[in-house]
Amino acid sequence: MLYKKKLPLLAFLLPGFTLMLVFLYEPFLENIINSFYDMNTFAKMPGQEWKFLGLDNFKKLFSDPKIRIAIINSFKMMGLTIIFQVGIAFVLAVLVSFIKRGQQFFRTVYFFPIVISATAIGLIFKLFYNYNGGMLNQLLKALDRKPVNWLAPDIAFIMVSIPILWSYVGFYFVIMLTGLCDISDDVYEAASIDGCSKFKQVFYITIPLLRGVICTCVTLAVTGALKVFDLPWVIVPKGAPQGVTHFLGTYMYEQTFTIGNIDYGSAIALLIVVFGIVVAQITSRILKPDANL
Amino acid sequence: MKNVKRCLSVFLTVILMFSLLTACGKNQEVQETDRSTSKDAAAADSGAKTAGTEEEAKEPVTLATMSMFGGTDPNAGNYQTINEEFMKENPYITLEDDSQTSDQDWKTKIAADFAVGNEPDVIQYFTDANASDVLAADKFVSIDEIRAEYPDYAKDTLDTALKAAANPDGVERAVPTTGYWEGLFCNKDLFDQYSLELPTDWDKMLKAINTFKTNGIVPIAVSLNNVPHYWVEFLMLSAAGPESYTTVPDKAPEDWAKGLSMFKTLRDMGAFPEDTDTIDNDLAGELFKNKQAAMQLDGSWYAGGIPDQENTAVVAFPVIPGGKAASGAMVGGISSGFYITKKAWEDPDKRDAAVKFVMAHTNKESVAKYWGGNGQAACAVEPVADMTPLGISGLNYYSSAAASISAPTDSRLSQEAYNTLIAGIVGVSTGDVDPTELLNEVLSINAKK
Repeated sequence: MLYKKKLPLLAFLLPGFTLMLVFLYEPFLENIINSFYDMNTFAKMPGQEWKFLGLDNFKKLFSDPKIRIAIINSFKMMGLTIIFQVGIAFVLAVLVSFIKRGQQFFRTVYFFPIVISATAIGLIFKLFYNYNGGMLNQLLKALDRKPVNWLAPDIAFIMVSIPILWSYVGFYFVIMLTGLCDISDDVYEAASIDGCSKFKQVFYITIPLLRGVICTCVTLAVTGALKVFDLPWVIVPKGAPQGVTHFLGTYMYEQTFTIGNIDYGSAIALLIVVFGIVVAQITSRILKPDANL
Repeated sequence: MKNVKRCLSVFLTVILMFSLLTACGKNQEVQETDRSTSKDAAAADSGAKTAGTEEEAKEPVTLATMSMFGGTDPNAGNYQTINEEFMKENPYITLEDDSQTSDQDWKTKIAADFAVGNEPDVIQYFTDANASDVLAADKFVSIDEIRAEYPDYAKDTLDTALKAAANPDGVERAVPTTGYWEGLFCNKDLFDQYSLELPTDWDKMLKAINTFKTNGIVPIAVSLNNVPHYWVEFLMLSAAGPESYTTVPDKAPEDWAKGLSMFKTLRDMGAFPEDTDTIDNDLAGELFKNKQAAMQLDGSWYAGGIPDQENTAVVAFPVIPGGKAASGAMVGGISSGFYITKKAWEDPDKRDAAVKFVMAHTNKESVAKYWGGNGQAACAVEPVADMTPLGISGLNYYSSAAASISAPTDSRLSQEAYNTLIAGIVGVSTGDVDPTELLNEVLSINAKK
């Protein structure tokens, strides 16, 4: 055993565990209970009773067309994050790792969107897409073209996905670049002496040696896609236009805080947690990040 | 060395534990201080009663107040000015004010405060169904109860205004300051430019929509995704007439559905902005203010923010074809007022201060400030001398053109039901949602509460 005396361990672990219990697990349990009751208010008024609904909210999940859109969009976002967030981050990290000078500059440039709050990014893109006087339509006007409704139902999902994907590329880029730094230069040098091109080095050295980091990034990206909320809510609140840009997070928020259907919002929150666990497990089993292949 | 390490780890653990528990400790301290203060207050009060000296009665009092006159509310400045004057006149009273713009988050916070016993001493809040969750806590004092001890309470407020501000159970608890009206704001200069008459009937409205659309002007500035509320109200009122509009049926009335179906007609005509599904209400308002849009349906509070006061007019919403409402049927009323909570009323020190505070905000002078010519004053105030043409237009609309004044639907439906109705409007306007089905869903949600 590493530690003979358990008391100091307990003393240090207890505060953190207490915080988790009070502010995470207990509310989560409350949330599950809430999903079975017809809640009129967030907090029960003295003398007020909430009607027991049983599984009504969960049955509604199967018949609600908007939740279907939200689930589909969330899963679409998972695929997009793997391709565009992790994929682009990998390409950028490999390219930056090849250069000897100015690495720090590119690190800063690519990581910068992570520092800006999602609300600010959302506002910037909202102003880009604005139909009346938005930046994109001003450019079109300068080119003597007609303005375009950038958030029309047929293209809204793509337009909302762009900032979501762009804003997190830097996060995975830094993780990948750190992983790349751990690969010994000797391996690349040996490969170069043997006549291996840079392109082949990426496939035969970088990707296999970076496998664990890539798997971690994919798991983070996939589970992160389920939590997408702030950017779409700022750019197109309430799943606008016509509910086509709803994600699980935005739909849960709309039901709970905008409409006031708190119990149904609790059921959606539970669904998000279940999806999160299932997706993380599937990703982990498929990718096996710890396995030595 | 070992001992030093052990002592250090124990010391750090203790520090960590204390730092985590600091908040609770402080709270307890505050509560204990409160308790001792209230004991002192009670002692002082009994002393005051026995000795009858005013000095003892004027022990320092801290009054927790809340209002909707916060943030960007046009009356936030007036509210603060009255508070400052009040504190100057009553130096023993300190106000701890937490006024904010009334939005859903604020309402949620208020409901939570009332549920856990953290309610303020005085609050300016809704009087209609919007207050139902807070009213369920039964923590407000009725005006009758207050008048039994303070006969002059709300003496300047008109009886009709007090009645209009009565809660859904008919009990008068809140003292209102102003009421509001909703009307159709028109950019008169745009109508003149295209030789159009103001839309006083539906034919003129249709002509205006077509003409503006042809000339690249947005006919009606509205965000269907954000704030379609005014249109919902007027279309249903116009189609159903005041009587049917103000009753809450079990099943969707045909007239209500007919009114809502007009959303699709107007959308198909191109009456709304191209991006009506995504634009914010504020940006839609900018279209109207910048003369990029010709008409906007909004409330009396909107008038003050319009830069062109000369060329903007308010007209009654035209009756839709086959509508049962008379021309000039209006949505409006009084929906908020100042309440005193039982917490303040039962505290002998705070009772008097709370009454003084409410009277300071609801007397004739204060109401005149809040009113400023916009909407409806709860007291008999003098007309404002230097009213703008838009102000006069609004006053005429309210005082002479109104055939009937009905409170909006959200004053009768539960919040969840009303919000479901609002959330379905974009679907109704595109034809994806059947108005009758939406209304049936709304009414069934309302029936559950």
